[in-house]
Amino acid sequence: MQIQDLPYPDPGVPDARSGPRFLWWLWRNQLGGQLKSLAWGLLHFVSVSALPFCVGLAVQAAVDGSGTRLALTGALMLLCGIGVAVGDTFLHRTAVTNWITAAARVQQLLARKAARLGSALTRRVAAGEVVSVSTGDVEKIGWFVEALSRFTAAALTVVVVGAGLVVYQPALGVVVAVGLPVVALAVLPLLPRATRRADVQREKAGRATELASDTVAGLRVLRGIGGEELFLDRYRRASQEVRHAAVRSARMWSLISAVQVLLPGLLLIAVVWHGIGLARQGRITVGELVTVYSAVMVLNYPLRHFEEIAMAYSFSRPSARRAARVLSLERSTATDGIREAVAPGGDLHDPVTGLLAPAGRLTAVVCGDPDAAGRLAERLGGHPTEPDRSVLLGGVPLDELPLDSARTAVLVQDKEPVLLSGTLRELLDVPSSGAVRAADALAAAQCEDVLDALVQGSLDAADPMDARITERGRSLSGGQRQRLALARSLITDPEVLVLDEPTSAVDSHTEARIADGLRRLRSGRTTVVFTSSPLLLDRADRVALVHEGEVVAVGEHRELVDAEPRYRAVVTRETDEELAAADEGMLLDALQELEEIEESA
Amino acid sequence: MIGVAPPAYDPAAPTTATTLPVGATATVRAYVAELFRRHRRAFLLLIAVNTVAVIASMAGPYLLGGLVERVSDKAAELHLGLTAGLFVLALAVQAVFVRQVRLRGAVLGERMLADLREDFLVRSVGLPPGVLERAGTGDLLSRITTDIDRLANAMREAVPQLAIGVVWALLLLGGLVVTAPPLAAAVLLAVPVLVIGCRWYFRRAPSGYRSESAGYAAVAAALAETVDAGHTVEAHRLGARRVELSERRIKEWTAWERYTLWLRSVLFPVINAVHLLVLGSVLMVGGVFVLRGWIGVGQLTTGALIAQMLVDPVNLILRWYDEVQVAQVSLARLVGVRDIEPDAGDASLNPDGRAVHADRVHFGYREGVDVLRSVSLEVAPGTRLALVGPSGAGKSTLGRLLAGIYAPRDGRITLGGAELSRMPAERVRSHVALVNQEHHVFVGSLRDNLLLALPHSRLPTTGEGPAGSHDAELWAALGAVDADGWARALDDGLDTEVGSGGLALTPAQAQQIALARLVLADPHTLVLDEATSLLDPRAARHLERSLGRVLDGRTVVAIAHRLHTAHDADVIAVVENGRISELGSHDDLVAAEGPYAALWRSWHG
Repeated sequence: MQIQDLPYPDPGVPDARSGPRFLWWLWRNQLGGQLKSLAWGLLHFVSVSALPFCVGLAVQAAVDGSGTRLALTGALMLLCGIGVAVGDTFLHRTAVTNWITAAARVQQLLARKAARLGSALTRRVAAGEVVSVSTGDVEKIGWFVEALSRFTAAALTVVVVGAGLVVYQPALGVVVAVGLPVVALAVLPLLPRATRRADVQREKAGRATELASDTVAGLRVLRGIGGEELFLDRYRRASQEVRHAAVRSARMWSLISAVQVLLPGLLLIAVVWHGIGLARQGRITVGELVTVYSAVMVLNYPLRHFEEIAMAYSFSRPSARRAARVLSLERSTATDGIREAVAPGGDLHDPVTGLLAPAGRLTAVVCGDPDAAGRLAERLGGHPTEPDRSVLLGGVPLDELPLDSARTAVLVQDKEPVLLSGTLRELLDVPSSGAVRAADALAAAQCEDVLDALVQGSLDAADPMDARITERGRSLSGGQRQRLALARSLITDPEVLVLDEPTSAVDSHTEARIADGLRRLRSGRTTVVFTSSPLLLDRADRVALVHEGEVVAVGEHRELVDAEPRYRAVVTRETDEELAAADEGMLLDALQELEEIEESA
Repeated sequence: MIGVAPPAYDPAAPTTATTLPVGATATVRAYVAELFRRHRRAFLLLIAVNTVAVIASMAGPYLLGGLVERVSDKAAELHLGLTAGLFVLALAVQAVFVRQVRLRGAVLGERMLADLREDFLVRSVGLPPGVLERAGTGDLLSRITTDIDRLANAMREAVPQLAIGVVWALLLLGGLVVTAPPLAAAVLLAVPVLVIGCRWYFRRAPSGYRSESAGYAAVAAALAETVDAGHTVEAHRLGARRVELSERRIKEWTAWERYTLWLRSVLFPVINAVHLLVLGSVLMVGGVFVLRGWIGVGQLTTGALIAQMLVDPVNLILRWYDEVQVAQVSLARLVGVRDIEPDAGDASLNPDGRAVHADRVHFGYREGVDVLRSVSLEVAPGTRLALVGPSGAGKSTLGRLLAGIYAPRDGRITLGGAELSRMPAERVRSHVALVNQEHHVFVGSLRDNLLLALPHSRLPTTGEGPAGSHDAELWAALGAVDADGWARALDDGLDTEVGSGGLALTPAQAQQIALARLVLADPHTLVLDEATSLLDPRAARHLERSLGRVLDGRTVVAIAHRLHTAHDADVIAVVENGRISELGSHDDLVAAEGPYAALWRSWHG
């Protein structure tokens, strides 16, 4: 797999039974790349290790006064140099390619998993985990998988050079062969502590960042009410804690650095001490001594890979475990359905509450308990998180249809629809019947001022459709967001549209116009609106009052206002005392009422 | 492979207008200079320990060179014991000082980083409320997360490591000069190759890396959004499109990876060639010199070993130079906040009384486009004024002017005769508070969430102070807004951790906390920008009762999206198209049969 061919047409089915199995699966799936990286790695490391021989030969040639040999050494060195350069470049290219393809594969798997899980992800633990795997863990997983072949090449080189030295100069080679494993493994016991401290530091840094962004997010509150110093002090403390943790972590790493200087240094001294003796006895030449010294110096480089692979593994193991867990998440209900996919139509009926939304009409639902309203709205779309007796659309139980068919037939816009970032055109480009034009939907949802605001806030877009909406539509006000979400749902133009409090943050002027627009655009289609706003209720064909899980009254808004005290209580926000007073046609507000009570008390 | 052009799509390019300024080069430079001045001692210490470490590291090659010289001269006395002793001593010194270098580097880097992030937050919390209102907090947020993150690496590692690398390389070159000056000249042969290669690379690399990391962040962001919008994605059947989007982001990101990989594919051979040239020229030129008898074989040995050691600092410098370049952009964004003038205000202005008065006020967000035109208003102490009107008519803007957040372009808004916009923000807020839909619950204890509203002078001074000294007052405030019930039921009471990551409060509870803060801050005038509109009707009704108690006895300007709020007010101002078109009590306006009356009938049914 080359980088330019990414993303994978199909990232495959991961072995997510455990972290190590997942790592193994990733490695196996890029075997070709791993072998390439191993081959280039061997060329690179062996060439690097061959340079000391050149140094030794050159010094010996100088000692012996041989110009020819010096020139030959130069040629040999050039050859090694080419090996180093080519090996280095291509090792880097293959290694990076392996890292990127592994990371891209995991990202693709995560994206597919997230799309499949859909609303099941709203349980927050799962949601946070998916995101943290994507932002933090993917890199570490890719790192370890990629480093495996690089490490193997380095380890093979160390063995080859060690063996080579033993053959080249047995007396000195043995000293090196004994010393090398010690040097290679000495820092490993220190690593777990160092990585633990690094983890503490990261955790504290994360906490400080959280405090900072929290302070900034609430900055308008702070500037409006006060308390800046309180929060600055708190942040300063967190920031200093990060600093201390980082320095503490650096203490450990600096110890490791010192060991990495000390041990190879001791080995060098042993080599020199032993080698000088041999040289004096004439058993080795000066050039050979310089070769061995220089070889030990250079071997430090492949030896560092022992440390790297240990670190990569200790970092990537928990990451792989988290990734495997996320990738093995499943929905609680079957999404394939137990019936053939059909496109049902007709009346929408909920056997649990007795709610009936006649086909082609605008039905409003009033429910005093907002949570119950939310659950009911979710049930109306089929495949709810807490399944009960299924809602029927034209007699077909929605829960038994494939998920996709149910969602096509009924669109439930929940209380907090999320605006996805991108241009307005992208936002409104949703799977739809094609019958409703974007301009009509935007007009019906009264979005003119939103379009103006979007153009104003954008860098260069003159057409509002090209203007960008930031994540979650944060640059827009609550009412503006609601209206855009409503426009998006109207464009979809489903058989049945269920809206939960679609205009709760919209002012009354605009709400009245939206109610008219909604009615006009949805004429002949089935629409259910959960609301308590008289402006919307007044325009519904039929209003159902849900009380304690059951439909207790059905009728037109005006009828219900007159005849049903429980309805009046929800819709007109009267208190019980006011209900009594309402007979006289008087409307007092809750605040004044309360003051009177307080005064009389 | 002939080369890779930079991808056409640049994920690092700004998509929305930057709302806050980015620091000018001069500002950034001044800041960096100040940062260095502040940490001069730590910096000098780092250089000193580094110098010792590098000099000690050269002892090995030097001593070996001496030995080689004597062995090849067949000298009788090798002083082997002394040499070995010196060797061990040098090694010990090197190990100790290398450790110190690493540690001092971290200490310096961490101090600078801590300074930077704290400085930034200090500046941020001092921003004028008007700037915040206009710019929103999104831009600031991305600066304090993304930019601080990017700078962390640069400050923590790059700056110290660069300093180390430069000193190291210079000392090695110096060592070479001391050992054998002709060899040092041989090293210079490699310099042109290095310079040409690096110039090519560094002209392209920083922006390449910036785009690459922005591209990678976009991959994660696309996924995070899919997860966050799980409900919406499923309801609108957007799953396949989200996967498609993620894959497009991956393609964009990897295109940049491929580009930067190409850049390195050019750089790496250049660097390798430089290393080879250095070592080769030292050996060949030096070898010839030895043959001619101009230098000794010991000098050649030492020189060759030092030349080999040059690999490390050169790699170090190249490795971190990138990072520093990338960090410059982030630094400019952080320092940019310093370019905003903090509003000083006139501390001598003190309102006399509580009457709010707007006199022929004009205001616009952009040059030449007025949102409010010639608005005059009088709000007597203790009255309730409701602003109603269609979206975009200017009622929220008028509310912000009355709260002293914006200054009128023309005309005056006074509180007790003193001009609001000329008072310092801290003075204004002790009199007037704006309550909007934003009920931020801060990460921290419930106590901290309330204490912030107490005037600064009454807070416990820095440090851990007597945490509970204001508890009675805090409980009373919670009681005043009906929140003491659930608050007392909390296991840890006021110490309960709330906000993201802590106990999740319901929107209604968050709102009660916002109201309790008002009770504590105790301003005599409140501007309510539809404080309860995002809540469910039932929760809202309960809250209105709490709100009622908070409002009691205060002057209230309510921006009303809902007509029942207007109905309760003493005076209603209908704002249309930047002007006040109707003004009067509810009954007056209904009797007048104007636009308000029409709307009221439609709403009330």
